[in-house]
Amino acid sequence: MHPIVSIGTSHHVAPIEFREKLAFSEAQLTEAVQHLREAYQVQEAVILSTCNRVEVYAVANSMRTNDAATKMLVDFLSHYHRINLESLKKWTYIHHNLEAIRHLFRVTASLDSMVVGESQILGQVKAAYDTSREGGGAGTILNRLFTKAFSVGKRIRSETTIATGAVSISYAAVELAKKIFNTLEGKTVAILGAGEMSELTAKHLVSNGVSNVIVANRTYERAVKVAEKFNGTPLVYDNNLDFLIDADIVISSTNAPDYLIKRQPLANIMRRRRHRYMFLIDIAVPRDIEPDINKIDHAFLYNIDDLEAVVASNLKDRQQEATRAEQIVTEEAKRFYNQLQIFQVNPTIKALHQQFREIADTELQACCNKASFTDQQAAAVNAMTQAIIKKLLHDPMKNLRYAVNDGDADHAQYLQALQELFALDVKDEKPES
Amino acid sequence: MINFLFLLTLLIYLAASIFQTLSLALGNRTEAVAIRSTIERIAFWGTAIGFAFLTLFIPLWWLQQGHFPMTHWTDSIAFFAWAVTLIYLIIVRLTHLRTLGSFVMPVAFIAILISYSFATHTAALPEPLRNYWLLAHTTLIFLAYAAFIAAFGFGLMYLMTERKIRKKTDTLFDNLLPSLGISDELGYRCTILGVILLTMGVIVGSLWTQYIQDVPWRWIDVKVISTLMTWFIYVVQIGLRQFWGWHGRRAAYTAIIGFGAVLCTYAGVELFLDSMHTYR
Repeated sequence: MHPIVSIGTSHHVAPIEFREKLAFSEAQLTEAVQHLREAYQVQEAVILSTCNRVEVYAVANSMRTNDAATKMLVDFLSHYHRINLESLKKWTYIHHNLEAIRHLFRVTASLDSMVVGESQILGQVKAAYDTSREGGGAGTILNRLFTKAFSVGKRIRSETTIATGAVSISYAAVELAKKIFNTLEGKTVAILGAGEMSELTAKHLVSNGVSNVIVANRTYERAVKVAEKFNGTPLVYDNNLDFLIDADIVISSTNAPDYLIKRQPLANIMRRRRHRYMFLIDIAVPRDIEPDINKIDHAFLYNIDDLEAVVASNLKDRQQEATRAEQIVTEEAKRFYNQLQIFQVNPTIKALHQQFREIADTELQACCNKASFTDQQAAAVNAMTQAIIKKLLHDPMKNLRYAVNDGDADHAQYLQALQELFALDVKDEKPES
Repeated sequence: MINFLFLLTLLIYLAASIFQTLSLALGNRTEAVAIRSTIERIAFWGTAIGFAFLTLFIPLWWLQQGHFPMTHWTDSIAFFAWAVTLIYLIIVRLTHLRTLGSFVMPVAFIAILISYSFATHTAALPEPLRNYWLLAHTTLIFLAYAAFIAAFGFGLMYLMTERKIRKKTDTLFDNLLPSLGISDELGYRCTILGVILLTMGVIVGSLWTQYIQDVPWRWIDVKVISTLMTWFIYVVQIGLRQFWGWHGRRAAYTAIIGFGAVLCTYAGVELFLDSMHTYR
């Protein structure tokens, strides 16, 4: 059996100072994989290097033990990055076979991410795999492993809700707006004051369909500066709230010490806009919008704490869903590991069958030549030899497959014994094209 | 046999109502996500099968009685359930909003329960009235009621979503309840459909009176008046919406009041008051 080994570090176990030492730049990746394969006799390798994690997945020659394969990877990392073995031991984790598979599945499903359910990691793993494959680093086993990892990642994102619900304040605002308006198409957002958070939120709203942006500020220059970013309309804010008549979404983040938008004036504005829905987001501290406005019909007010509560609740939901996702990952990893073992047993079985058949064919030929059988007789003898081969091999093959399916550690020894006793010439399966 | 099938239909409707309500009650609680889609599916297919059964009864009763089965109020209330389910299924087909069933299916179930409990299938309507006018008149009126009940369902959905948004503590992002904009718009469309159907039904009914000779007819009838009042509630609501922006919350409340009016007009008059329209 070819041992699968992964060694890596992530934000869970190591500080940034160590992760940056271990990181591979994009330019290094192909060359590093190649070096790993040539200098360390690793058969297949994929290196994943993101800002939160650095991981090496490798398949070693079947003659090597897990420990020997691990040592190769440790040596490689230590030499390549000139890191001493102690700190490698302290800050990295190592997984073998089933655990390595499970770990990759967890990573790809973003169960190991800082924000569970985030979508970037799937793309990052894909990129790492593509780079390695293009450089010839990923072969039969890693091709299967990573293809499976992507499908598990997708399955978890569609069958669980770990990837739903906004986990940032600006996205929470977008989702809330959609819960009110349904579509943001053709809606108008008004930004009162300026600030990073309000601009980010406006940006998300615009990319979700909001078509008009009004930017109101005490100074016209500032308003123009922000409005330019959204192709919006700049306004000087002089205590006149009339521009809110057209605003479906209001984001306020001024430094004003008192409420800028009070209940009664807004109630009037609501009447003038014929009670169309208005979603007000108060990011300012101290607050800009009188809290009672949430009591006006069709006006919905969220302040920074409310949005943070939404985010916290979404994060909690994702955590709960993660438990379910972990079960899926464990199941899938077990199933894949089994398939992989059967897949690795197949060449030996094939070689054995072939050897038996070749011997039978040779003997049959010799016998036919001597005995001058009729066609009918030759066919009967041929059928008999085939049946003998089949029966002879039936039980050993059955037991071998059982051993593999039961996760029996002995099957590797069985395989080796078979190969040595019968002097089999086993070739690895060619990767499917 | 027919009675057994009807009991079966009743049970299917009960199951569909329970599963529908259950799926709404589970909401998007994470531990329930896995079973919720199964529950939703059972509820929806239960509804579809129940509707198919109910559809069978109309020709069955027709054959059994020899005339359109609307001559006793217990038949008519089953027909009412049929109309409610029909409108619901059409809405699901157009919008995929199965959640509406959580509000509409219990109404249909109760209607069938009443029909089953009191069923006699004896004709209570005078002979001269059993004709195609009856068919057209009652079908239109019942479809109108069904549209109003759908509007009522959307009104409740609106108020639930609004409450969630205002409460701020809940996670809002389950896909069960549509956005405020959608609930409001669909409720409005159902109201318009209902008003059109009701208007047509009333017109057919009043034309019908021109052809009645053997049965005494009086215009000042409790049912006629209460139907006109129901019609008025909805028409005023549409007008206010058009000219004063009365939508959203107010429209939702009107849909609920309208639902009450429909119940009074249909059941109240039927059971407690003496009217020209009662099947007695």
